[in-house]
Amino acid sequence: MSELVVGLEVPSRGSRLRAACGDFIRRRPLGAIGAAVILLMFAAALTAPLISPYDPVQVHFAAMLAPPSAEHWLGTDSFGRDVLSRLIYGSQTALIVGFGASLLGATIGALIGVASAYFGGRIDLLLQRFMDVLLSFPLIILALALVAILGNSIPNLIVAIMIPMVPRCALVIRSSALSIREMPYVDAARAAGFTHSRIILRHMLPNVMATYLVMLTAFLGQAILLEASLSFLGLGVQEPLPAWGLMLRGAAVEFAETAPWMAIFPGVAISLAVFAFNLFGDSLRDALDPRLRTQ
Amino acid sequence: MGAYLIKRFFLMFPTLLGVALVTFLLIRVIPGDVVELRYSGDRGSVSQEVIDKERARVGLDQPVWKQLATWLVGLAKLDFGTSMWTGAPIWEEIELRFALSLQVAVMATVIAVLLALPLGVLAALKQDTWVDYVIRIFSIAGLAVPSFWLGIVFILVLLVFFQWLPPMVYTPFWQNPWENMAQLIWPALAVGYRYSAVSTRMTRSAMLEVLREDYIRTAKAKGLWQSLVLRRHALKNAMLPVMTVVGVEFAFLIGGLVVTEQVFNLNGLGLLFVQAVAHRDYTLLQALVMLVAGIFIFMNFLLDVAFAWLDPRVRYA
Repeated sequence: MSELVVGLEVPSRGSRLRAACGDFIRRRPLGAIGAAVILLMFAAALTAPLISPYDPVQVHFAAMLAPPSAEHWLGTDSFGRDVLSRLIYGSQTALIVGFGASLLGATIGALIGVASAYFGGRIDLLLQRFMDVLLSFPLIILALALVAILGNSIPNLIVAIMIPMVPRCALVIRSSALSIREMPYVDAARAAGFTHSRIILRHMLPNVMATYLVMLTAFLGQAILLEASLSFLGLGVQEPLPAWGLMLRGAAVEFAETAPWMAIFPGVAISLAVFAFNLFGDSLRDALDPRLRTQ
Repeated sequence: MGAYLIKRFFLMFPTLLGVALVTFLLIRVIPGDVVELRYSGDRGSVSQEVIDKERARVGLDQPVWKQLATWLVGLAKLDFGTSMWTGAPIWEEIELRFALSLQVAVMATVIAVLLALPLGVLAALKQDTWVDYVIRIFSIAGLAVPSFWLGIVFILVLLVFFQWLPPMVYTPFWQNPWENMAQLIWPALAVGYRYSAVSTRMTRSAMLEVLREDYIRTAKAKGLWQSLVLRRHALKNAMLPVMTVVGVEFAFLIGGLVVTEQVFNLNGLGLLFVQAVAHRDYTLLQALVMLVAGIFIFMNFLLDVAFAWLDPRVRYA
């Protein structure tokens, strides 16, 4: 058999990945733009200490509410802190909370969804009822209540944002796992006497990967938005930590007329980040699974 | 159809009960209680006796299961009790604010539907042309722009370019419709944009799916006018998923205005919710969450009824 392969060029993993990326850029330019913005955001977050012109928490009362200038490109806030530096550092907060919450939420949701579909029967019914209950709370209300319970450190914020996402992911993953459960290879695995956890983790989970990735990217933008909303309400990230939603709180609205840069730029940063994640997520969905083109 | 509706109706109750239990437990896990908060200002100067008395007055001295039982019995009678913080009946606390939030939600829905239907249909008809791309970018942006920030931008623009601010005091619509609209149209627009974005995307994808169906080709092939095919054959069938999105978003909006209300200084359910959390006003919190979740559950029931009525496939399944 092996002679048959000789002469055929077997592409290495790396070059295959490169080809896939090139294909993605050519066929989905909007998604590629989104990906570029996301990469830029990562670069900003990783190199924040190097590229930000000022210390994001350093108070300068001499430079309070300074308009954008050569010194402070995006102006300063009511404490004289450089807005651009705070935006750059704020991308760290947004990415940590965004990725933390959506990874956890989508993963736990996927596990519950797959388990629910695999076991079926009473377990499925119970889990689904419980998910229905969680789904009845508006996202922001549930997150708010959870933050009030847990207190507002960054890990707690991640948990509070993650939990409302679990039932939303479980619902979608369950429905695609239901069809996989009927596949012959799952029957075969069962006949071979594999444990439940092995069948779920090794045979079913990899096959809902496409759906999982789509949910994950959709959650990313939502998590960043939710974090910004909670921080804006004063229930998320706390001063002096730089976070985009927090930058819009209080003084930004109070001084909106005299210092509009304080109110405008953080909002642009949030919108741009979420926009990029949504753009990328949409294209990824279309590329991975055309059946999921529901929204 | 009758049996299905009855079954669907009674299916609401286990979910409602679940919501009630989760709400009750969640709220009680929040550290601190209303009495502690009330006297936190003059810590030490208040004797334990006064604190115990106050706890007894609001019913916090009862064992938890008893509190739960009292509340559930009240719920069954649609009686939410009195607020632990103000002592006023909860219906009184909620009434006006509910009217305000409901009005903003209704206005946002009107805006969203008026934008979403034409845009979504147009995008689907012109799939993969520049029209489609512009509409898609417009709607993806709608999902990305935080509504509370959009609200700030509205205020800023009105202030800088028109030297005008929306009225800060709520006037009921029947008292002065003009004054009322001048205040509420801005938050409605701010949340309406996101709402319209969600609905536009759904309209577009539902239309795309329907337009591929055989019966559309048949209708076109037999020479029907394009507009007639669109309205009678395509749009009617594409409306079902759009209805779901609009309904669900509407139900969530009533309680989900929390952040936008803050920007416009609106005294709606969202603000009340944030205050209730701050005061650990258990009874008010429970009532608010139940109200919002109840509306959502009931909306889902209504949607299912509408589906069964509109779509024979659901009815006979």
